[in-house]
Amino acid sequence: MIRKPVVLTALLLGAGGFLLAETPGSGLPASALPVASDPVVMQAMSTELDRAMAQLGTPTTPAVESKSGAPLLKPYFLSYSVADAENVSISAQYGAIVSSNAGHSRTADVQVRLGSAALDNTHGDHRTSALTTMALPLGDDRDAIERTLWYATNRGYGKALDALEKVKTEQQVRAKEEDSSADFSTEAAQSEVLPSLPKLNVDKAAWEQRLREITAVFKVYPDIYYDTAVMQTSNETDYFVSSEGSHVATPNQVARLIVVARTRAADGMDLFRVETFEADKTGNLPAQSEVLAKTIALAKNLDDLRNAPITEPYNGPAILSGRAAAVFFHEVLGHRLEGQRQRGDEEGQTFTKLLNKPILPSFLSVADDPTLKDFDGHPLSGHYAFDDEGSPARKVDLVDKGVLKTFLMSREPIASVQQSNGHGRAETGKMPTGRQGNLIVTSTKTVSDAELREMLKAEAKKQGKAYGLYFEDISSGFAVTTRRSPQAFQVIPLVVYRVYVDGRPDELVRGVSIVGTPQAALMSILATNDHQDIFNGECGAESGTIPVSAVAPAMLVSAIETQKQAQGTARPPIVPAPPLGVASEKKGGE
Amino acid sequence: MVVVRELKRAFVCAGMVSLAVCATAQTPISKGERSGAPTSVLVVDSVAKLAAESDPLLVAMKDELVREQKLLVLPGMQRPYFMSYRLEDFQSYQAVANFGALTSESTSHQRVVRVEVKIGDYVTDSSSARGEGSLQLAPEDSDPAALKYALWTATDEAYKAALRAYSAKQATLKSFQSAPTANDFTPAKAVVKIEPLVVLALDKEDWKKRIVEASGLFSTAPEVKSFAQDVQFSSANVNAFALNRYTVDTDGTELRHGYSGYSDTIAVSGQADDGMQLSRNNGSSATTAAGLESATALHKRTIDDLKSLDELRHAPVVGAEDYHGPVLFYGDASADVINNLFVPNVEADRPDMGTTARTRGAYQSSLHTPVLPQFLTVVDDPTMKTFEGKDLMGSYGVDDEGVTVAPVTVVDHGKLLNFLIGREPVKDFPESNGHGRAAPGQAAHSKAGVIVVKSSQELTAVQMRAKLLALAKQQGRDVYEVETLGGELVPRLLYRVSPDGTRTLVRGAAFDELDQRSLRSGMLAAGGKDYVAQTISPVPETTIAPELLFADIAVKRATEQQDKLPYYAPPDNRQ
Repeated sequence: MIRKPVVLTALLLGAGGFLLAETPGSGLPASALPVASDPVVMQAMSTELDRAMAQLGTPTTPAVESKSGAPLLKPYFLSYSVADAENVSISAQYGAIVSSNAGHSRTADVQVRLGSAALDNTHGDHRTSALTTMALPLGDDRDAIERTLWYATNRGYGKALDALEKVKTEQQVRAKEEDSSADFSTEAAQSEVLPSLPKLNVDKAAWEQRLREITAVFKVYPDIYYDTAVMQTSNETDYFVSSEGSHVATPNQVARLIVVARTRAADGMDLFRVETFEADKTGNLPAQSEVLAKTIALAKNLDDLRNAPITEPYNGPAILSGRAAAVFFHEVLGHRLEGQRQRGDEEGQTFTKLLNKPILPSFLSVADDPTLKDFDGHPLSGHYAFDDEGSPARKVDLVDKGVLKTFLMSREPIASVQQSNGHGRAETGKMPTGRQGNLIVTSTKTVSDAELREMLKAEAKKQGKAYGLYFEDISSGFAVTTRRSPQAFQVIPLVVYRVYVDGRPDELVRGVSIVGTPQAALMSILATNDHQDIFNGECGAESGTIPVSAVAPAMLVSAIETQKQAQGTARPPIVPAPPLGVASEKKGGE
Repeated sequence: MVVVRELKRAFVCAGMVSLAVCATAQTPISKGERSGAPTSVLVVDSVAKLAAESDPLLVAMKDELVREQKLLVLPGMQRPYFMSYRLEDFQSYQAVANFGALTSESTSHQRVVRVEVKIGDYVTDSSSARGEGSLQLAPEDSDPAALKYALWTATDEAYKAALRAYSAKQATLKSFQSAPTANDFTPAKAVVKIEPLVVLALDKEDWKKRIVEASGLFSTAPEVKSFAQDVQFSSANVNAFALNRYTVDTDGTELRHGYSGYSDTIAVSGQADDGMQLSRNNGSSATTAAGLESATALHKRTIDDLKSLDELRHAPVVGAEDYHGPVLFYGDASADVINNLFVPNVEADRPDMGTTARTRGAYQSSLHTPVLPQFLTVVDDPTMKTFEGKDLMGSYGVDDEGVTVAPVTVVDHGKLLNFLIGREPVKDFPESNGHGRAAPGQAAHSKAGVIVVKSSQELTAVQMRAKLLALAKQQGRDVYEVETLGGELVPRLLYRVSPDGTRTLVRGAAFDELDQRSLRSGMLAAGGKDYVAQTISPVPETTIAPELLFADIAVKRATEQQDKLPYYAPPDNRQ
């Protein structure tokens, strides 16, 4: 195979290392060029990227011009991001396996930027014009990989050209934007090839048996009409090469076990509970005994909820458990501190103008730190070494003693922050935007759980309420941040208790949903308990679904507003559930 | 010569396991009349019953159905008058290779239950034209308890939905002046038929090698690699699936039926110098892996496709001014015409509520009138299993509603005599003729099985061409013939035929005035080589069509946008 001399130069320079020396033929930094010790797919990425940058925008093919007749443009930036992932996914219902799949995929995200960092084809509504996604060959056939990358790059270039024309026209026609920051930040290129993960090794049969056993718990709860247990795990290597000379390979792995169960109260209200367990690999998920115990507790709790009274709308003090507070902060604060939400005609920009102003009580600080692999011995799902734009992960102090200091930044600058802070994240197939990683809430006004409870009762009494609320478990809702909708948020409380001022036992209630506006809710936090809990999960937003975590202590808020949950009107099942006891012995093939 | 299978074949569920039982055949269908409505009498022999009882999934399904029949009623509301349970076990495999390398490989196994509950009676019930059914994932394990649980959940949903639908429909019907033109559902006899399970069987390693090699030939094969840089995309894939379907209903019907489909495809594409997008894609399909083309044949097909792509790239664009005149359709082009213009219109569908239409489509009021030329007869015969050595995908014995099928003469010497119909009657067709067929997860709808188009004045292939040429000479101009279509009746391999017999490949054309009228009164002849068109999805179907010569079809220049050529050349890694 005849290759251009630049490859030999790269071999001499060795793997890794960050060099700005130019090499003939492409004008690219040397570390963008293929390195012989790199995995083949990465070498192919480097080779084709180099070739594309050298040839695009030059008259190498029969002369074609852009629509306006102007000469073709060279991309000012090109990157290839390849996710090579092995995954296993098994699910069970009612004591039996419903699906059990394993797969291997390799997907390339090609990002093409034309124009300049000040104004490029991603401006405004055209962000997705930069991205073209395509499946890559799975093995080490360099020719096939390069050919596929060519196909995607060619497509991407056409899209970018088209979008740039539109961007330029729109700029001429519209009023001046509120935030006229550049479209792309200036960052130093990175070069690091982290050790790749071992091949995914999952004992499928053993996990199938575990999931059967977990869902079999529900057989003795005839009113729980739906249950499912899912185990998913993936080992992924993300390769990133760019025309700026970035050259990164970083591993990402996750294993998660999710148990969901649903029931319906006699008045038609749908009730559900979810338990999730996450780790870096299946071997580090909790033992079966722990999972079964939690599943049984979940089932019992659902039954209790079915029979619990419906609560009235309420406005008063409440305690959010650590997990509930973590979800609360993720939704109410975390999403609103994503950099790109501070810019753009459609965004509400709640906190944009509040930089260096207090947005939380002074005893609270919030940081987002993806460099943390675990917390208190528990794995954190929002851990990563490099974000999806090849920027190194770093700890970001978002709120310091209640004062807003900065935002979660990708390479899309905003008026107040011009650089990335390693939070440009996306699901494969989406353009990266500022996202959370591991959101850590710390408090300097801590009391014990018992004391926090007493404070709740005291606050309720002070406000003339017969009880305060205790939110033990909530499911993440959605954060509405766009300008056109009210600045509301909704998280879905799953387990809520009334804590009576007069000392009578706590009462489980159903039908509660928390509403309110973000700033008011945050400023009403009075105190926290003295230990942080972790919530690991998946977060969905414009740049797709990504793994995240949130860590927070339990919190006492003076004013939380709740409304009655929108209620389903379906009846519970008419016929009793089929008897599961005896029949479940008959397992086996046809 | 009219091809109508003799009636006695209706009794024979040939090729099925001897446990099969067939319902009594109806009176000769060609008369368009039917015997009286059969009552729901269970005609089962003990062997079939034994087979049904030895399948734990069927037993579990029946147990749950019986339990629901007893208990399923909301106080003050109606009980269902009909319920059916269907379990589909779907296994599939797919591998794709691009540019000479494996790009994806996936295996899937899934089971889904579908429950149908009808409220009301055979005259008016809760059903709509779309069909209702409640779907739930079912266990892969053969765990009867978990299966019953899934059925129970789906039944509850289906019943509640049916109650709502019934009262909504009653209200809507009151708003119309005329009553519906047909009942909503037909009773049927119980049928018990347990066929062997189908299993997905494919030599995956061998096939992966084949598709990897085929997708890379554009740059490795000496015959074609000289133009490798003009091949923009080259992909080969192999697909296999096996579906086993279990059905029990309150008529007493118990069915177990499996079918499988295998296919391989090669797709190559590029652009002409003016930007026109061009592609060739084709392959083989069969009911077994052994029925697919050999490795040598795939290799040859790929080389031929690549050469054809190159030929198309250099072919002249079709003339700028419209042509109206004779066009000969052969190869898969004629079958495509039948499948596009004819078949959907003879599948009976419930008409819109409140109208007096018989059914939907172009032939809804064409009963007993000419729809095809007098020399054509069309029969749908799913009992036909092979044709010229090929296994026919559309072949079956009992449809998905439990009705045994017999050959149906759809068109006799040009006149429309019968629609293909399932248990949803339409005006003048109060009974099913065994064409109630369901795509996976979907309600049963009237669907063709094995469509056979035959000419009573069959010309040979040589005669067909001679006739075309004669027309060219007679009219003193070039005429056209088309070998294959791409997309909806768009020509892909179109040849201009001159009076002196020269054939020129042209590109960038579209047809016009290729419609039911051309079919009915614009066809001059049929014959030549029959083409067997097989489709797997949504339901397996076969169409066997001869070459068709039309007198007056329009050939125009297509007004497609011409895309930009690549902005830079692909990598040149040829040896």
